Amino acid sequence: MAHWRRIVAKLHNLLANKHAEEDLAREVASHLTLLADDFERRGMSPEKARLAARRAYGGVEQAKQAHRDERSLLWIEQAIQDLRYGLRTLSKSPGFTITAVLTLALGIGACTAIFSLVNAVLIRSLPYGDPERLVYLFSPNPALKIPAEVIYPSYGDFYDLKREARSYADMSNFEQAQFRVTQQGTTQSIGGARVDENFFSTLQSVPELGRTFAGEDNLLAHAKVAVISHSLWASMFSAKPDVLNRSIQLDGANYEIVGVMPPQFEYPFKSDLPYGDSHIESTLIWVPLALDSKAKSSRALGNNVSLARLHSDVSIHQAQAEMAGIMARVDKEYPPDPGDVGIPREWGALVESFTGISIGPVRPLMRLLLAAVGLVLLIACGNVANLMLARAAERARELGVRAALGAGRGRMVRLLLTESMLVGVGGCAVGIVLALLFLRLLPKLDPGNIPRLNEASLDARVFLVAIGGSLLTSLAAGLMPAIGASRMELTDFLKSHAMRGSSAGHHRLQSSLIVAQTAMVVVLLAGAGLLIRSYINVESVDTGFTRSAVTFHVSLDQRYSKPEQRVTFYKELMAKLEALPGVQAAGSVNYLPLTSGESLTFIWVDGFDNKDYQQTKGRFVTPHYFQAMHIPLIAGRYFSDADAAATTNQPVIINQKFAKVFFPNRNPIGGRITGDSKKENWSTVVGVVADVRHTSLEEEPQPLVYNATYDAGDASVAVRSTLPPAAVADEIRVTLKSIDPNLAATDIHTMGDLISIATARRRFQTSLLTVFAGIALIMALVGLSGLMRFSVNQRTHEVGIRMALGAKRRDVLLLILRNASVLVVCGLGLGLMCTWIATRLLKSFLFGVGQHDPFTVVTVSVLLVVCGLMAAFVPARRAASIDPMQALRTE
Amino acid sequence: MPIQILQGTLDLMILRTLATMGPQHAYGIAGRLQQVSDDALNLNQGTIYPALVRLEQHGWTRGSWGRTENNRDAKYYTITRAGLKALDEETERWRQMADVVEKLLAEEQ
Repeated sequence: MAHWRRIVAKLHNLLANKHAEEDLAREVASHLTLLADDFERRGMSPEKARLAARRAYGGVEQAKQAHRDERSLLWIEQAIQDLRYGLRTLSKSPGFTITAVLTLALGIGACTAIFSLVNAVLIRSLPYGDPERLVYLFSPNPALKIPAEVIYPSYGDFYDLKREARSYADMSNFEQAQFRVTQQGTTQSIGGARVDENFFSTLQSVPELGRTFAGEDNLLAHAKVAVISHSLWASMFSAKPDVLNRSIQLDGANYEIVGVMPPQFEYPFKSDLPYGDSHIESTLIWVPLALDSKAKSSRALGNNVSLARLHSDVSIHQAQAEMAGIMARVDKEYPPDPGDVGIPREWGALVESFTGISIGPVRPLMRLLLAAVGLVLLIACGNVANLMLARAAERARELGVRAALGAGRGRMVRLLLTESMLVGVGGCAVGIVLALLFLRLLPKLDPGNIPRLNEASLDARVFLVAIGGSLLTSLAAGLMPAIGASRMELTDFLKSHAMRGSSAGHHRLQSSLIVAQTAMVVVLLAGAGLLIRSYINVESVDTGFTRSAVTFHVSLDQRYSKPEQRVTFYKELMAKLEALPGVQAAGSVNYLPLTSGESLTFIWVDGFDNKDYQQTKGRFVTPHYFQAMHIPLIAGRYFSDADAAATTNQPVIINQKFAKVFFPNRNPIGGRITGDSKKENWSTVVGVVADVRHTSLEEEPQPLVYNATYDAGDASVAVRSTLPPAAVADEIRVTLKSIDPNLAATDIHTMGDLISIATARRRFQTSLLTVFAGIALIMALVGLSGLMRFSVNQRTHEVGIRMALGAKRRDVLLLILRNASVLVVCGLGLGLMCTWIATRLLKSFLFGVGQHDPFTVVTVSVLLVVCGLMAAFVPARRAASIDPMQALRTE
Repeated sequence: MPIQILQGTLDLMILRTLATMGPQHAYGIAGRLQQVSDDALNLNQGTIYPALVRLEQHGWTRGSWGRTENNRDAKYYTITRAGLKALDEETERWRQMADVVEKLLAEEQ
């Protein structure tokens, strides 16, 4: 030990300032001179005097080294003593050490992981120039009862805006598109976008290789060029630099690759657009939009997305006001487009920030998680503080003896702080490990609609925050007992019962800490309870369809441009699918439930008091769709094959909601409806089917009309079979290939998968909050149990007297339990009050359950009281088993 | 017979020397100690350096460079206010200790 301490001292000397060394050399030299002077005065020759001086001085180097060692030893010595002492005392009470370190580690681990997540989702910069200045331009129409963020300005309107608006540094229009990429005989479908020449400059993104589109690329003749994403470059071209000389086959046409975008640039991501193409997760390829002049001036609703970058000195409100002015003018100037049947020319203006759209929806969730994890950390800190206080009180005697033996106060404070720092460092180390584990687990819960969740990693800043937090916590927790110990009056201590007096203040503090912790646990438990109830409610929603149906998506290319071709294709596909062994029915629909596509039509119902711009959802299905999805028939009949061929007086099927809204108190079967504003072409209702949850599980069904057709274009096909889904999926691929080898079945899911995807966000938040609440509960119980044990220890004497005076064991047991329940009930009361306020923030997360749900409140209360009593029972039983004689003797 | 310095007493002796004689350099201190002990103290002059550092680190002395009467360069140590206080405490302790030891020895005889 001494040996390596010397080494440390020497190391320290190496780093020590040169000044001290020079000073020492000078002092030794002067000392020797003075000695030699003296010897000379006694009559020695200078030479002899010098030697004698050396002798009298002793070893110069030894003296110097001793000086150096002494110089650096003092602080090392004390630090090492403190450390060693701290480690020894900590290892002597492993119960305390393990509990404190684990508590802190759990708090820090959870906090670090959630901070990393939030950092990845909300804070870490996107691969674009300042995303805060990016905005989307929408033109909502008051006549259409749909969300405002569905419709962007038409091309014609957009180019008018671009010409006249002064608010933007750059503006771009693009369309999402799926491309079939053929490579070595296999065809896969990838997400892409057709973009104008300002797309990349608006985003302020530059390629990592090659170039983006120049102006002439967007002229039709040059339109066969493409920019690809980093991931596509890696997967298709093995990230080789010669990619720029190569081409890629999209939908059967060759595109020359001119650029590769950097990693992470996959705009638009699914979550980047408010109502994007649900089949496109992220964008891997960009090609020029290449509009002809006719398309450029079209005033009809398009599929375009309008993106712009605000000038740095323009606010969203100013931009919006300017856009409103321009839109009002063009609305007056141009008649309604003949393509947009029945929609009035009243396109409005709405400017919304890109970050608001892309991360706005997850912000409340992130805040919720931060709040929850913050509470967990607070509880952890409270627990550690409590443990330290209890320990300090138990050690009052030891500290008193130390003080009596002359230990300096500063030194004692340092000792206690060293100990709490050791706990803090331990908690930090274990906490980081826990955080890493937690981050590994998080993606397994990934609901798929939280942007960049998978990129969450422990970053240095988060790491530092965690370390700082933990050390601060343990320091604060260690400081209180340390100050208490240093303030201790020796005379008080020497009076026999001073120990109790000094811990009374501690005891009050400890009790309030427990009450506060319990209150926080109640808030977390209630929050988790409400979320669990909501989740159960969502899971038990009647979706209206079977989970077992296997679905896939087909999109037909330009080879199927004629309706007859499409009809033939789908008839053959359905017939072949239904001929497969085990298959009960197969049918297609243009937009599957729980995917984001939607189609709306204006509707007039014969014999109903029709209002202007009355809307219904519409679906085109092949006749056996209902059987394939197992959607129950309520009245009338399902479609027959003949229905799909009808050209006039087409039969339609409506859902229950439609029947309720438009056929109140009358039989809808045989009723007539039309989507034709001239009311020439009517359809007849032949059946009513059960409501289906289309938009989301949590939204009430809307009126919906089904039309039968085999001319399905791009469609989703549902297949119901008695075979397992994987086998069905294989058969689907084989069947599709036998009809057309160039078509690919994409998005193969069971409807159960889609439900699971739809509830993933809820599962994510519910499981996280439940885990946090569980951790918090356990921590609080550990704290409570610890406090009870401590108070039993402190009251051994008192209990002994009580028992000597005739108290029964049962009385003692009840006494301790009563003490515990007072704390629990106080905490519960406070917690319920906080919950009353806090759950208001939870409101948007709840489904089918009130924010003050009595069931949850009662459950949480019962759970807490039962657990609290259980935690207090062990120490209480120990108190009850105290032998009165021994207890009275121990003092 | 030369005597060994009792652990911890060197600090006390140095403080005392500085308190009585005013600012001194290391040589002066060593000389004074030898003189007082009638050369009974077996003291290599270099051995007082660690004690000097310790005292300075505690803030009980302060060192500064000056000149001797013979115009030699030397580092002078001055006792500080804290040093005087420490001297009182140490002296008291030493007296008590010596008292106890003395009593014990007296009883033994």
